[in-house]
Amino acid sequence: MDNNTALKADNIVKYFYEPEKFQVLKGLSFEVKKGEFVSLTGKSGSGKSTLLYVLSTMDTDYEGSLSINGETLTGQSMNRLAAFRNQHIGFVFQFHYLLPEFNVLDNVMLPALKLKRYSAKEIEARAYDNLRMLGLEDQALKAASKLSGGQQQRVAIARALINDPSVIMGDEPTGNLDSKNTAIVFDIFQKLARERGQTIITVTHDEDFAHKSDRIIDMRDGEIIG
Amino acid sequence: MAATNYKIAYVHLTSKIRQTIVALLGVMFGISMYVFMNSFMTGVNDIQTVLAFTSISHIHIYNDGPEDNTNLVKKAYGPEVLANIRNAKVIQYIQGIKNPEPITALVRKQPDVIALTPQVNINIFFRNSANKINGTLSGVDVENENRVFNISEYMVAGNWNDLKYNPEGVILGADLADRLSLHMGDNINVLTPDNVSKTYKVIGLFRTNVNGVDKSKAYLNINSARQLLSANSDYITDLQVNIKDFEKTAPVIARLAPVIPYKVESWQMANQQLEAGSKLRNIIAVAVSLTILMVAGFGIYNIMNMTINEKIREIAILKAMGYSSRDITTIFLTQAMVIGLAGGVFGMGLGYVLAVIVNHIPFKIGGLNNLPMAYRPQDYLLAFFFGLMTTLVAGFLPARKASKIDPVTIIRG
Ligand SMILES: Nc1ncnc2c1ncn2[C@@H]1O[C@H](COP(=O)(O)OP(=O)(O)O)[C@@H](O)[C@H]1O
Ligand SMILES: [Mg+2]
Repeated sequence: MDNNTALKADNIVKYFYEPEKFQVLKGLSFEVKKGEFVSLTGKSGSGKSTLLYVLSTMDTDYEGSLSINGETLTGQSMNRLAAFRNQHIGFVFQFHYLLPEFNVLDNVMLPALKLKRYSAKEIEARAYDNLRMLGLEDQALKAASKLSGGQQQRVAIARALINDPSVIMGDEPTGNLDSKNTAIVFDIFQKLARERGQTIITVTHDEDFAHKSDRIIDMRDGEIIG
Repeated sequence: MAATNYKIAYVHLTSKIRQTIVALLGVMFGISMYVFMNSFMTGVNDIQTVLAFTSISHIHIYNDGPEDNTNLVKKAYGPEVLANIRNAKVIQYIQGIKNPEPITALVRKQPDVIALTPQVNINIFFRNSANKINGTLSGVDVENENRVFNISEYMVAGNWNDLKYNPEGVILGADLADRLSLHMGDNINVLTPDNVSKTYKVIGLFRTNVNGVDKSKAYLNINSARQLLSANSDYITDLQVNIKDFEKTAPVIARLAPVIPYKVESWQMANQQLEAGSKLRNIIAVAVSLTILMVAGFGIYNIMNMTINEKIREIAILKAMGYSSRDITTIFLTQAMVIGLAGGVFGMGLGYVLAVIVNHIPFKIGGLNNLPMAYRPQDYLLAFFFGLMTTLVAGFLPARKASKIDPVTIIRG
């Protein structure tokens, strides 16, 4: 694995045991280069989300090995993985999971307040930058729960970007967005990959979106078919 | 990092303000009850003590009678020899305390002793024509008696100090005077066990509110009492001693008892029912207040558990974003702590208010005007401490549960 590799998955196998033993991921191996914009496609139920949770380090119940930025993450402690996620991974969920009791700005700031790389003042400025980039700066002080679905999804993206993660993962991040907003998100992802060298791995059902990205990993029944 | 966790805790507390208030009220109520119950019981105990010490001293030295010398055979031959002795007579060679000077001096030398007074106590019949009542005539050293028992506080007629210069005067318990139909200035006749009869003048009445005392006791100058018994000018029957802290009789007794050839008895030994009463009241107070605190603790536990179940998604998101288990524990323990601290402060306030209110409720029995109440900082501090402990323990389990939440299982749905 050379210096140019952002993520390396080696023979990832995962089972679900409920309601009965069932192999979801059947020995997946692949590499993603730094600054690469990868789309993960496949029919519903093919295991895309499950794979993404393994790659995100949240799911540790798998066989095989995973390393990101040259660091082997398989077998690390929960707290170590949490710290790693905080610094290196930005995650956009399929359903926009914001903290409803906090305002938009706080939601975006929370991962950075945990990382503490910058002072609270700088973090706030950076959060505003991100919100502006996503066209949300005038919503900053609103309660997160007061925003529309599309707006919330963009807030979630702004939050995923706040710590300048080297890898950004999205589980159908544009699933709830109209074509205009989808285009905005695509442009942002592309810009992050091209200009800042951030690696993007995102599940999508949008053919257009997938074909415009650098590479498509197509899945069927827990296997990569192309 | 900590500041962010506190901020999250703050948002949780304020966004579900009603739940927070319910939890807070639970703790507040528990702590106020702890404060109130303990203040009340301490007040009652203190009043009991004050009442008790109008008639008993902290340490009592007296001649307990000779030891049982009726079976002299056993003394000489041991218990295996059977002896059959009938109608044994006990002859007390010495009555009262012989040679009291060195004993008094020894007792006075003890560092803890703050007052002592000699007495000549005589069992006596009080008589007013046909009325005849059995009681105690107490010959006292007027000034020292007052120092130990504070009896001048309880005078309802006449002047305690008049006894000093009036060898013919007696001061009667108010109920005793009533039963004998006697008033100030009237004559009263007494009859000693040795059939000596003498008439005194009533120069004062007292009421200690200890019934047994008020209806059967009278005071006389100690010298007059000695005259009545035809005893020496240093004759005494009892030495009553007060020390600095009435609870700490044991060490003084331990020092005095081996060197004084008479009975040296603490008030606890003589009045175990008093001690038992005050101990039992304390146990009740602690049991009731701890029960209430425990109920409050369960309340907090439930509310925290509910909060965590409601916030399970948010906790999962925080963890997905990189918050550690310890951060989550901190967030929820902080909430418990805030509830505990605020409930504690308000609880102490409410406890104080309750105490003051109850303290003003009229209660006119046994010389009391209002219900008694003590205001001791340690009751408040202990209540606060217990309250905080309860909330922390009650908050700890839910907080740990929250910290163990696995983010994927929640987010995957
Ligand atoms: N928690 C779970 N327990 C058991 N089976 C699951 C669970 N989550 C997903 N699955 C199953 O695993 C397969 C892959 O699911 P998923 O990764 O969500 O697919 P995709 O995201 O590609 O639609 C599906 O057959 C789904 O039913
Ligand atoms: Mg999916």
